[in-house]
Amino acid sequence: MMEQTWDIIIVGGGPGGLFAALEAARAGKKVLLLERKREMGVPVRCGEAVGKEDFANYVEMEPRWIGAEINTFIMVLPNGKEVMLKRDLYSGYVLNRDLFEYDVAARAADAGATIKMRSNVVSLIRDAGGNITGVRAMELGREREYYASVIIAADGVESRIARQAGIATALKPQDIEPCVQATVSGVSLPEQALYLYVGTCYAPGGYAWVFPKANNCANIGLGINGKYSDKNNTARLYLDRFLEKHFPQASVQRYTTGGVPVSMNLKTLAKDNLMIVGDAGRMVNPLNGGGITHAISSGKKAGKLAATACDSPNKMKDLFARYEKEIAREFGKNHEHQYRIKDVVYQLKDEDYDRIGDEILKIDVSKRSFLTIFKHVVKHKPEFIIDVVKAYSGI
Amino acid sequence: MIIELGHCDQCGTCISVCPADALMLTENALLIDHEACTECLLCVNICPIAALENK
Repeated sequence: MMEQTWDIIIVGGGPGGLFAALEAARAGKKVLLLERKREMGVPVRCGEAVGKEDFANYVEMEPRWIGAEINTFIMVLPNGKEVMLKRDLYSGYVLNRDLFEYDVAARAADAGATIKMRSNVVSLIRDAGGNITGVRAMELGREREYYASVIIAADGVESRIARQAGIATALKPQDIEPCVQATVSGVSLPEQALYLYVGTCYAPGGYAWVFPKANNCANIGLGINGKYSDKNNTARLYLDRFLEKHFPQASVQRYTTGGVPVSMNLKTLAKDNLMIVGDAGRMVNPLNGGGITHAISSGKKAGKLAATACDSPNKMKDLFARYEKEIAREFGKNHEHQYRIKDVVYQLKDEDYDRIGDEILKIDVSKRSFLTIFKHVVKHKPEFIIDVVKAYSGI
Repeated sequence: MIIELGHCDQCGTCISVCPADALMLTENALLIDHEACTECLLCVNICPIAALENK
């Protein structure tokens, strides 16, 4: 059995793991990233939408990463009416996430990181004292052991690495959205817009999305809340019904499945010499399921702090406490609020959405902001404001 | 006994809800640890494409 020693091992090569590898390698550390899949960035288990400003906070956009530019946000009501919001209220991209991840991996490798594909980390290695010293991986049927000072768990929704370190990562069914997406061609959309179909008729406890990409292609997907999912009511069955009804002309080029955590962030994001980033730490906006920039941000932070911790092992505890604090400040607290609001939003019935939507449609499109929607929701359901205040004050 | 029907897409959604840590992915298959499994059926219900069944 071969043994190898590194400063930092990263388990998982999604955006969180890749940016952790990039930052740690740039800080001069010996970095190993292990990814189970055979090809970087593939399959894309994601709707690929990101906010322009949000993304720019962390990475400079490359033209080949842009699948489409978005300047409009359209909500489709259960009754089929489209509610377009003020133009430029939402400004974003639909990414080519495969190319994005491929390029970031190349950058990390240029910076000195070692990346291994088809390396499936199955467990943590501990010494006689119970300290985590490395990981055990299966590579084409052979067991390999890798040792490091710091381990970064970037293993996505499964989050088995943190679980092995003793952190409870298992999600309740209501805290995850099983999702299915079809990337389709032959769809000519009138607007460069993100379309969100809301209501239980489309996706109970979730929503359906139609995100355009170049050449009349689009990501069409949906997620339902886990508590409504069973063998006879799968996300896939809802998507099939949705495509048949709304996009009968679409040709499906690719199906992907995935699970989106809609819980709050894990309370523990670092333990001993292990750090958790991205989906593995449940760092996803539980209202809209967005998690790309949270993964990038937490990955960058973890990579930098892990590198510092390698230089000053006696400060590791403080550095990792700082990591948890910074994440909480940047979006952890927000996710707690959004989690509580989600509960309220998902209580809205299809008739509620239709009525609220009809009122917003009476307002001139140039005046339709998120605040106007909010005001109309409150007008229609006054108890909503109480729930939102409660959510934000944490009562 | 939980079995995988052969059309698993390796998305890992089932693993995220498994309270017994009885599921694991390889590059192209889902492994089920039948000794650890409590047959709670959370994985069967959550699978986005009904790839799991209790037989």
